[in-house]
Amino acid sequence: MPKITLGNESLVGSLIPSNKKSYKLTNRIQEGKTPLYSVAFNFIDARFFTCFVSAGGNGINLYNCLEDGSISLLSAFTDEDKEESFNTVSWACGVKGNLFVVAGGEKGIIRVIDVNNEKIHKSLVGHGDLVNEIRTQPLKPQLVLSASKDESVRLWNVETGICILIFAGSGGHRNEVISVDFHPSDMHRFVSCGMDTTIKIWSMKEFWTYVDESFTWKDDPSKFPTKFVQFPIFTASVHTDFVDCNRWLGDCILSKSDEILLWEPQIKENSPEEGTSDVLLRYPIPNCDHWFIKFSCDLFLNYLSIGNQEGKIYVWDLKSCPPVLITVLAHDKSKSVIRQTAMSTDGNTILAASEDGTIWRWDAINKEQADSVEAQRPPLKEKGKAKLK
Amino acid sequence: MASGASPSSSATRSDPHKHSTAEKRAPASKEVAAVIDSLKKKLSADRCFSIKKRIDENKKNLRGVTQSTMRSCMERGGGGGSYNKDGSDLLVKRQRDSPGMKSGFSASDAADKNNNNNNHSSFLEDGNASSTTMVQGSSVPVKISLRPIKMPDVKRLSPYTTWVFLDRNQRMTEDQSVVGRRRIYYDQTGGEALICSDSEEEAIDEEDEKRAFVEPEDFIIRMTLDQLGLSDSVLEELANFLSRSSSEIKARYEVLMKEKEVSESGDNQAESSLLNKDMDGALDSFDNLFCRRCLVFDCRLHGCSQDLIFPAEKPAPWTPPVDENLTCGANCYKTLLKSNRIPANGTTEDKTGTSSDGAGTKTTSKFSGKPNRKKPKTFPSESASSNEKCTPETSDSENGVQQDTNPEKVSSSSKVKASGRRGGRKRNNNNRVAERVSRRTQKRQKKSEASDTDSIATGSRSASDAKHKENEDATSSSQKHVKSGSSKNSRKNDTPVEDSKNSVKSDDPVSQLNAVASEPCSDGSLRKDEFMGENVCPGGVSEDKSWRPLEKSLFQKGVEIFGMNSCMIARNLLCGLKSCWEVFQYMTCSENKASFFGGDALNPDGSSKFDINGNMTNNQVRRRSRFLRRRGKVRRLKYTWKSAAYHSIRKKSTDKKDQPCRQFNPCNCKTACGKECTCLLNGTCCEKYCGCPKSCKNRFRGCHCAKSQCRSRQCPCFAADRECDPDVCRNCWVIGGDGTLGVPSQRGDNYECRNMKLLLKQQQRVLLGISDVSGWGAFLKNSVSKHEYLGEYTGELISHKEADKRGKIYDRENSSFLFNLNDQFVLDAYRKGDKLKFANHSPEPNCYAKVIMVAGDHRVGIFAKERILAGEELFYDYRYEPDRAPAWARKPEASGSKKDENVTPSVGRPKKVA
Repeated sequence: MPKITLGNESLVGSLIPSNKKSYKLTNRIQEGKTPLYSVAFNFIDARFFTCFVSAGGNGINLYNCLEDGSISLLSAFTDEDKEESFNTVSWACGVKGNLFVVAGGEKGIIRVIDVNNEKIHKSLVGHGDLVNEIRTQPLKPQLVLSASKDESVRLWNVETGICILIFAGSGGHRNEVISVDFHPSDMHRFVSCGMDTTIKIWSMKEFWTYVDESFTWKDDPSKFPTKFVQFPIFTASVHTDFVDCNRWLGDCILSKSDEILLWEPQIKENSPEEGTSDVLLRYPIPNCDHWFIKFSCDLFLNYLSIGNQEGKIYVWDLKSCPPVLITVLAHDKSKSVIRQTAMSTDGNTILAASEDGTIWRWDAINKEQADSVEAQRPPLKEKGKAKLK
Repeated sequence: MASGASPSSSATRSDPHKHSTAEKRAPASKEVAAVIDSLKKKLSADRCFSIKKRIDENKKNLRGVTQSTMRSCMERGGGGGSYNKDGSDLLVKRQRDSPGMKSGFSASDAADKNNNNNNHSSFLEDGNASSTTMVQGSSVPVKISLRPIKMPDVKRLSPYTTWVFLDRNQRMTEDQSVVGRRRIYYDQTGGEALICSDSEEEAIDEEDEKRAFVEPEDFIIRMTLDQLGLSDSVLEELANFLSRSSSEIKARYEVLMKEKEVSESGDNQAESSLLNKDMDGALDSFDNLFCRRCLVFDCRLHGCSQDLIFPAEKPAPWTPPVDENLTCGANCYKTLLKSNRIPANGTTEDKTGTSSDGAGTKTTSKFSGKPNRKKPKTFPSESASSNEKCTPETSDSENGVQQDTNPEKVSSSSKVKASGRRGGRKRNNNNRVAERVSRRTQKRQKKSEASDTDSIATGSRSASDAKHKENEDATSSSQKHVKSGSSKNSRKNDTPVEDSKNSVKSDDPVSQLNAVASEPCSDGSLRKDEFMGENVCPGGVSEDKSWRPLEKSLFQKGVEIFGMNSCMIARNLLCGLKSCWEVFQYMTCSENKASFFGGDALNPDGSSKFDINGNMTNNQVRRRSRFLRRRGKVRRLKYTWKSAAYHSIRKKSTDKKDQPCRQFNPCNCKTACGKECTCLLNGTCCEKYCGCPKSCKNRFRGCHCAKSQCRSRQCPCFAADRECDPDVCRNCWVIGGDGTLGVPSQRGDNYECRNMKLLLKQQQRVLLGISDVSGWGAFLKNSVSKHEYLGEYTGELISHKEADKRGKIYDRENSSFLFNLNDQFVLDAYRKGDKLKFANHSPEPNCYAKVIMVAGDHRVGIFAKERILAGEELFYDYRYEPDRAPAWARKPEASGSKKDENVTPSVGRPKKVA
């Protein structure tokens, strides 16, 4: 980790909530006792922006958030193998717009479920170990990336079931890869991070012909000339511990270890090894030193929400500088680790997948409502705690 | 940032500066602290501002991006109308139909997680206390009976870590090292993270390297010292503040001041293009990146920046199949020789050459017209000289060396005639040159006749003629040249030694060439001398100016490779730069130069970098120049040559020879290897990559096997665990290819060498599958007989130290792919290797591994221990040292008794050995 030298300090966010926006708890679903590891809103198809999917154990469930705060179950899937334990789930869609849910977990097999006929579309086999995260390319939602314990990231075409590229080898990760994310506008780029504490930016520009080829491949997917990409274009070590979540924020990167950092990679095109990373902002998250706690943002990247191991949710404003904590969501009943949160497209609904098998739904309330709530409420516990920090 | 701050702070600077210099009083530490503090504040404000600016910019960009993402979502959502027209969208239906759950919901039915969901009713009982508006509906849980859809079981793969296929070993790159690096290991069972590093490494970590000064630090140092003056107390404060030593800061300040001066004076050095570089510079990347052992660039096995080793014996220059009359193009010297020979015979052309005022075409017409003694068998020189100006062309035709070896051919005989007609006086002259030429040309061409070389000499002169004319076009006055020519000429002759030294560096090319060209003439008649001096000198000027250092070096290389063959040199090395004719001229000049200084023994050593045989005259070993190497290049390997320094503490397995193999590094001896030979000291044989001559006593001699096909210990190569090498062994050969390129003449009656299988990659097809024993396994596709070579165990070459570190990590995963190779290296196939890395251990194996020396490198071959049938799984004995072997690799009888030994494990990690 580069030392924080003079003139390279980053701005640290204050843990005093601004209460610019308020949320109230509107629903809670107990799925079972198995820990939930992943929850994700649909960001692919505008008709289903209210739909979300959760994954944990060997089950995958599709829900719909209704306006009145209720949640309806749309579909439920279970893996026949009880050994399976899904770690991650993501939405994707085919060229014709048919929605897929893509999930991966303990067994390393990626399940692609066609939502419309409720059948397995593909089961993608190839990872040598468990899958930690799956992310979908927002501009080409047929492409997903999967991060695995086998130290590789793979690029798949979920529609044709082809493994297009494998990102591992000489310059690859040296331990489990925990998180990946596509660049929001540059289709060729993505970022990955993992247990080797590094964050790597990869480019598939030179290999894009294979990506194109994957769409028209008619033969057996296993015969596809899958290529290895061995060298990332940039390797950053801004953290000293496991990095378990990273997301692009424009050309900057949000990455989480024991705190969330916003940093800017400064890549030298010709000599990738000489690039530097400049940490701009820091978003402290108290009680969040377990690994595999992931944050999420809304579609417009205005807000960021992350749970911690006490069951609280921190909502940060991503547009402000220095960072402003919007609010802390807490509930007496919420005591377990929140592994992942999900924010709706507009950021007005926050879901939290908890290790005790519950999904919590928080909805934004407007100012007057918030004031009335504030008036009724006794002094907030969580607020006081936040001040202590 | 610093620059942005300077204008404002410069205003405040002047005052305290004056103050400190005028009174020469050391500022109080409070004062210093205040200054530093204000600067610091300034810096952080700047930083804050820049962060904000960048975030704002990012925000702006982001808006467009997210909006376009949103748009595509809307389109997909039916806004575009192109999707889901069928209306049979199940999700839409579900969304509409499924009842909302306003409160608790137990998904016991949704996933068979077999929990007794009897607690769902207790949901949110006391939740109301803190969040009043939370529950809007009833607290009665809504049960939805939704049958979960079963996903059919898919069998999972046996776990593996992603690995890259290697067909040959690779040396580890520095950035892959785990030594001195913290690795956090996540214990799956304990659920906690452990840090895998020991105390010794932490020490390395904490040892602070010398930090480079960053820009803000520079800023503070500069500003503070500018303001307060240079005094100890200020330095101390600064040192405190920046946590450095005050001497460090002082040194830095001086550097900064110097930099400032430099930047103010603003010297702009003209950028040198590639062609202006010298050969060493241009070759730097070649020398650094090209592996002379593997003949590839960027060799991953031997790495970059190897020591350059030049063999003591050089092969004779390559001669192409001679076809005398083929010219290499319009500018071939052969063509031009013919056309220019006649003018050279007369002396009139000198006049025309010097008097004409640069009208090139006129000159040439005169030139060709006046001395028209010979029938125009020759080409019109008009075309010839104009050709010269053209860009050089190359043709496919093979061109012989200049000497006519078959004089019966028409053109060459005419040449002979032509030279025969010349005056005797001149002939003397030319003969002298010719003698020198022939003395220096290759031995096998010695028989060339004097008359032939005659024409060369004339050719050289006429060459300068032609050059001269060209030159006139370029330079405005030829008269100057004539005058200066003779004066330089005389001066030249006075100081030949000095100039011969210079000739290497080409400091004074004009005078050199003058000297060279005029030398032969000085022996001849006076008149000739004058004309020659006049004539050649301008030619020399143009010639040498137009020959850039790189071109000269390329030419020298060309002579080394092709001998004195201007066609080949021009075509292969100076393509697009110089025509054959120009090369020929230059060659003749430099040859004369060589003969002048070399032949007259004035300064035989310094005369030139090369002699005609292509030997480097300065025989010192050239180290790779380091100046051009860039910092932080990818995949740059660094390793020392301290081959003998590392002593393995590891015990080898008992039933193998007790000496580990020694890593071979080529020696640099120029003569037969003596006591100081690095190979001898290291205990290895010399190989073909060494610098020493073939007669070196320390060389491995190879074998003379024929019928035995090198398959038994009778073969010295086989006995020494080496593969045969057709470069070394006398009779070893194999037929390669499919015969489309022709079949070589067979040696030794069909007895192909069978001891080159690793070299030739004649391996068996190995399949990867689920082992019968554990995890993955390697299987054989086709049946093989005993001792058959199956394949190579490839991997990353790592040091023993590195292997020990990695072994610690691998032990946790209970799978190790380390293999002891020799005294320097261990093979690690964990992330890079081939399928044979999956071959499992067995105490009763069907294969064995053997470390074999192949062309100077140790490699691991896997061989069949017995006859193996198709489809059988491959096993070999890992031969772990008994006390370090994991339980599964211990001999059955030993596993029980060794347990107490496990309490105090010996240093090092288990590694497979051959």
